Amino acid sequence: MAGLRDDAQWIVLMGFIVSFSLFFLAIVINQSTVIGQTTAESVAEFPKNDIRGVREVIILDTFLDDTSGNRTNVGNDIRTLSLNRKNTVVSFTNSTSTSASGSYTVGGILFNNGVTEYKETWTYRE
Amino acid sequence: MVNADGQLYTIEGFAASLIMLITAFLVVNSTSVYTPGDAHISDMQLEVTGSDALNMMTYVTNVSPGGTVGKSPLQEIVEKGDNNRFVEMFDNLTNNKTGSNRDRIQFMANVSYVKSDGTVNTTTPLGRTRSLSGGEHTVRVTQWLIADAGSPPGSSSGLRKRAVLVEVLLWRD
Repeated sequence: MAGLRDDAQWIVLMGFIVSFSLFFLAIVINQSTVIGQTTAESVAEFPKNDIRGVREVIILDTFLDDTSGNRTNVGNDIRTLSLNRKNTVVSFTNSTSTSASGSYTVGGILFNNGVTEYKETWTYRE
Repeated sequence: MVNADGQLYTIEGFAASLIMLITAFLVVNSTSVYTPGDAHISDMQLEVTGSDALNMMTYVTNVSPGGTVGKSPLQEIVEKGDNNRFVEMFDNLTNNKTGSNRDRIQFMANVSYVKSDGTVNTTTPLGRTRSLSGGEHTVRVTQWLIADAGSPPGSSSGLRKRAVLVEVLLWRD
């Protein structure tokens, strides 16, 4: 290009700058989809509703009366259904003690679906 | 004044290197093309809608003045096998919007429980708005509840309460 007229060098340079900045903006927009995916996948993967649901039914079960084996059977149902339908190992126990201030129930819940593990100890005072 | 003879060569060199870099970037990146549908954002929102709807159906509406707590709508539906009521109620909870337009969420629900021989029954339907043809992209939401003795209908050991898992597959058509 030696010997050519070079009056328009700045115009060429500005043209490059504008086109490359547009290109990098396009990359930013392109990445936004990936960021949305990461967020949505981490929300979808964490079993918030599973934990809430099984926790609720376990605590309801704890306060069933055990006539005709209701509490024991419902507890076994929960364990079996969790394993069969939710791919989740659920383990729970509870005990009721009486002290000077009244009786209280202490329960433990373990939840493990292979990805997320959740442990809880809850207390209820009559 | 600086000697400016080589400016255009420099610019040309930069341009050439950037073009090569961009080509390499595009080639490497082209193995993963994400569209918004791949990003599971709509799945996440659909799952929230569905589990909220199921959760609302477990709230007891008929608490008597004496403090006796009645059954939740979902428990009544499961115990009676009232599929029409489930479809109507769940459809309204998920598809109603402000104004006259309705959402396009379709669903298929069934009930799982442990039978008296210890196996799990998963084939009791609870109603649906569409049949699954296999092409739908569904999300699954579930709700636990404790059903009274003898429920759901058809379960053989009738004399005890049981834990029941209501499972709903949701999709937009």
